[in-house]
Amino acid sequence: MAETKEKSLSDEKPKPRVRPIVRLGIFLISHSFLVSIVCCTAGVLALFLLPVLAKNTYISENALMPGSASPMLSNQHVSDGNRLVKDLTNPNSKSSETGIESHKIIAQYMLDLGAEVSFHKFHPQMNQFHPLHFFSSPVSGKIQENYSCSSYGINTVGIIRAPRGDGKEAIVLVTPYNALKSGFGEALSLGIAYSVFSLLTQVTWLAKDIIWLVADSQYGEYAAVAAWLREYQTPKFSSLSTPNAEMCPDVNNLFELKGHSISGSKFSNSFRRAGTMAAALVLKVRDQNEQFEDTISIYAEASNGQMPNLDLINVVNYLAVHRQGLRVNVEKLWPLLNSSWLKSLGEIFESLAKVAKSLYPKWKFGIPATEYVEGTATLASSLYYQALGVPTGPHGAFRDYQVDAITLEISPKFSLDKVWRNDILLRGGRLIEGVIRSVNNLLEKFHQSFFLYLLTSPSKFVSVGVYMIAFALLIAPLPMVAASLYVDANSSSNCSKGDSSTPSAITDTDEHGIAIRSWSPTTSFMIWVLLSILSLLTLNSVLASPLACAKATQEKEWALVKSVTISSVFIGLGLMSVINFATAEIGALLMVPMCLLARPLKLDVRAGTLRSFCRLICNLVLGHIAFPPAAFFLLKGMLDGFGNANVGDFWMWVESLWAWNSATYLFIGMVQLPCWVLCVSILFHTC
Amino acid sequence: MEKLKKKIGSFSFWNWVIASIIFRLILIYFPKNLNLSSRPEVSTPLTSFRRLAEGYWLKQSSMSSYAGSMYHGSPLLLSLLGPLTVKRIEGQPNHLLYSLVSVIADVVSAMLIRATGQNLRLAYLRSLESLDLVKQIDVSEFLFSGDIAALIYLCNPFTIVACVGLSTSPIENMAVILCLYGACSRLIPLAAFGWVIATHLSLYPAILIIPVIFLLGCGPDSPPRKLFLQRHQQKEVLNQSKLPPGFSWGPIIHFAFWAFLWSVYVLVLCGISLKQFGGLWEMFKSTYGFILTVEDLSPNIGVLWYFFAEVFEFFRNFFLIVFHVNILFMILPLAIRLRHRPCYLAFVYVAICSMLKSYPSVGDSALYLGLLGWFVNELADMQFSLFLFCGYVGVSLLSPVMHNLWIWRGTGNANFYFTTAMVYACLQIVLVVEGISAVLNHDRKLRILITGKPQDAKS
Repeated sequence: MAETKEKSLSDEKPKPRVRPIVRLGIFLISHSFLVSIVCCTAGVLALFLLPVLAKNTYISENALMPGSASPMLSNQHVSDGNRLVKDLTNPNSKSSETGIESHKIIAQYMLDLGAEVSFHKFHPQMNQFHPLHFFSSPVSGKIQENYSCSSYGINTVGIIRAPRGDGKEAIVLVTPYNALKSGFGEALSLGIAYSVFSLLTQVTWLAKDIIWLVADSQYGEYAAVAAWLREYQTPKFSSLSTPNAEMCPDVNNLFELKGHSISGSKFSNSFRRAGTMAAALVLKVRDQNEQFEDTISIYAEASNGQMPNLDLINVVNYLAVHRQGLRVNVEKLWPLLNSSWLKSLGEIFESLAKVAKSLYPKWKFGIPATEYVEGTATLASSLYYQALGVPTGPHGAFRDYQVDAITLEISPKFSLDKVWRNDILLRGGRLIEGVIRSVNNLLEKFHQSFFLYLLTSPSKFVSVGVYMIAFALLIAPLPMVAASLYVDANSSSNCSKGDSSTPSAITDTDEHGIAIRSWSPTTSFMIWVLLSILSLLTLNSVLASPLACAKATQEKEWALVKSVTISSVFIGLGLMSVINFATAEIGALLMVPMCLLARPLKLDVRAGTLRSFCRLICNLVLGHIAFPPAAFFLLKGMLDGFGNANVGDFWMWVESLWAWNSATYLFIGMVQLPCWVLCVSILFHTC
Repeated sequence: MEKLKKKIGSFSFWNWVIASIIFRLILIYFPKNLNLSSRPEVSTPLTSFRRLAEGYWLKQSSMSSYAGSMYHGSPLLLSLLGPLTVKRIEGQPNHLLYSLVSVIADVVSAMLIRATGQNLRLAYLRSLESLDLVKQIDVSEFLFSGDIAALIYLCNPFTIVACVGLSTSPIENMAVILCLYGACSRLIPLAAFGWVIATHLSLYPAILIIPVIFLLGCGPDSPPRKLFLQRHQQKEVLNQSKLPPGFSWGPIIHFAFWAFLWSVYVLVLCGISLKQFGGLWEMFKSTYGFILTVEDLSPNIGVLWYFFAEVFEFFRNFFLIVFHVNILFMILPLAIRLRHRPCYLAFVYVAICSMLKSYPSVGDSALYLGLLGWFVNELADMQFSLFLFCGYVGVSLLSPVMHNLWIWRGTGNANFYFTTAMVYACLQIVLVVEGISAVLNHDRKLRILITGKPQDAKS
């Protein structure tokens, strides 16, 4: 109908006046080819410029005042800590099978300081997958049915009540400790925590309660901390609940022992709480070290790329570097450090900055090439760990309850003499003391500084306002190209689009994949691929409606499919950039070129020009790279060498994503794979 | 084109209806994972299921159901739906009966939409016939707008979410649709009943009285009356029987009488149920007063909560007046411009209300998107349809994520969520503006077909 009308109107209808914004849109849409090339190049370039644009960190919250007081931790406290280390490493204490002895030693030490002590027993929980996690409120941990008395862990919790506080706020100090096979490093971390703890029982300035959690890490550090936090944050009011750890005779035995051997009224059987947590520090000491100086590594990534407030990292960095003389490290992708192309890119940026400076002396944005390479390696690892969505340590459990937490891993240069050990205890203890004192000064929870940032070095960061530009440039062409394709296809024919069935096919296949559990990763992966292809083909033949009508519509069908693909990619990437920026950025790097270039191979072959040949090659290459397993394989090969890359690795990787409730898993299943399938179907479109 | 027609011809309407009902039932049986009834998009202070249950509990313990500022709905709703909030069947989901009522309300609304759409389509074809345009416009390509509108209403995710989320908006929507259906098929008592109940439940449908008057006065949507006159002048035979009837006051007086009767009836019922607790004045204060003064500033998908959380206290009354008069200002110009298309006018009013009302929810959007389906033939050339579709999908996915980021993760703030609310409001504005201009263009096209020469576009 519209066609007939338009035909009769086309020659006589006056051109209506168009609003400026619409005119701008039409202009962009009509030049979408040029715009998309410019935007994509600018987006990739901006990504590589991020280390240059990184700003120095600064402490944004005035109340923190790090380092304004001189540390009070003295040799007396250090020798206390040393005593605990000795007792724990003493072979006598390891006689017990369950490691209860060492927990008793720790509890006794805490009690001697006058702290409140309690044990928290927990069962390691199976991971559950909550796909709607990002759209709704968090699910409180469901009580699992099948407890067995054989597997449980014991966290030892000591609480110091603040003399100046009202008991409404607390700072948490966590030391993971495996009583069964503890290394010297774990004992040392307990020693540091104990020396700080013993200091904090005496000081008068404490305004927030201190909780020291010795997390039993025999079922993993994260599980222990998460179990304790779940208990802390979601009190259970029903006493007649499901079978509990209390029912196990072994645990009750532990309490009886306590009653006899531990003196002090401050020991309690029930779960003890303090106020809301202002911040949490996880302290670890690494056993082996290859480095030549004492370094401290900061791990901050929590689940789904959430980061703690930048101020917490700033305080630790400031105190470690300027007060204790420790070198601060954040994770780097080591293979990138030696890459020559990155070095030359850094040199180009450096020389460009020099030229700019000579032109106008106030332009100072260049950084040395080596610094650029290091910044890029740090940025890449920051992106990678955020994109994984798997927390890098037990601190991740805190972020789910909006508590800012980081893991500090001290790696001392190793020697066994006593002076060295005292030195580490003193410096580590003073660092922790300083951080706790700063956090103690806080009047509100951390809110001043950034939550959304990427680190390029311990003292440099890229904020959300800067890195979003790179991402926005990368995905800006998508809506324009989609609109121009839609307009083109619509103007020639009004035929509606089909092929909406393919995405649903993909989600189907994912479920198939999950069902297979018991085979080896490689076979499961292969079975998954086969099943996916099979169900995709059946669904395609059953549901998809190849518009087998006039030839004109069929020619335009691929354009419509491409338009739909591009708009869904745009929505998916936009959504993902809010949930987890890093995943969206990496996904955009893979998918945007493929989606923009996709064009039926037949058309290119038929055209036979050089340009179409180039496009053909690009399409084929991108079509391979953007397939998620292939992309994973390629990246892993590039970083670790192709020799030890295995097909099953991808399966394991995806399974770990699933187990950690990562949004990346959903992204791969719901956005990347369907769009890849659509793009491939465009490539092989018969027209 | 042919393919499409064949598809429309062969698709089975009832299959889709049954599929959508089954889908709702499946969702009702897994309510634990979804927790939709606590979403701010679904349950506003006016439509929340929890508040309904609370009001019923207060009533059962012989207190005023408006005590404690929890419940703000109608006392009739409390008497009708209240018992369902506490009734449980062993082994079934908790609120099964209540959910079933919502599902039935949805299906009834869809059927009414379908019947009205068929009415409108017939009226449109008749007017084309009397304009002698049947040859120029291929009538066989006309889509069955009633079926399409009903399916849009039933399969719209917004409707499904509002239905499964146990909000009362399916009932409110049904009242509005009942009113329009009654007016279209000239069942005056039914139209009056629908209008009174819809106004009683959520106040804003009161402005639908204007489209209803037009509908009763001069019949359903048709091209402007001027066109008929021009057509007949051209032919130089004034055939009175082919002219659409002029405005007649009879049905309107009839309508006014019935509306008065129904409102007295409703008020008496409310008065009886609120006899001990302050009477009708209490009801007006905590339903209409609550709507008009925007007391509850908890976040929702509208824009008013943020604004009134920020505004200074002594400006508050002024801005309350500004925001509500905003709706009233738009009534008159739209009524003049679209008086020949009363049903479309009703759609525009509903859309504007759902944009500017104090506690909007997705249920309101579900209503106007369903009504939009009536005009698929007129809106075939609407601009920005792809943009609007993608915008609606994007915003409805992004808004819960922003809410999660603000409330549960703590890394975002209120501005994040409010941004999506603003984008949503903009989308609705674009939809209304483009929709109106598309309908006016459609009328213009008809005129050109009749007169055979284009006139100035501004006329």
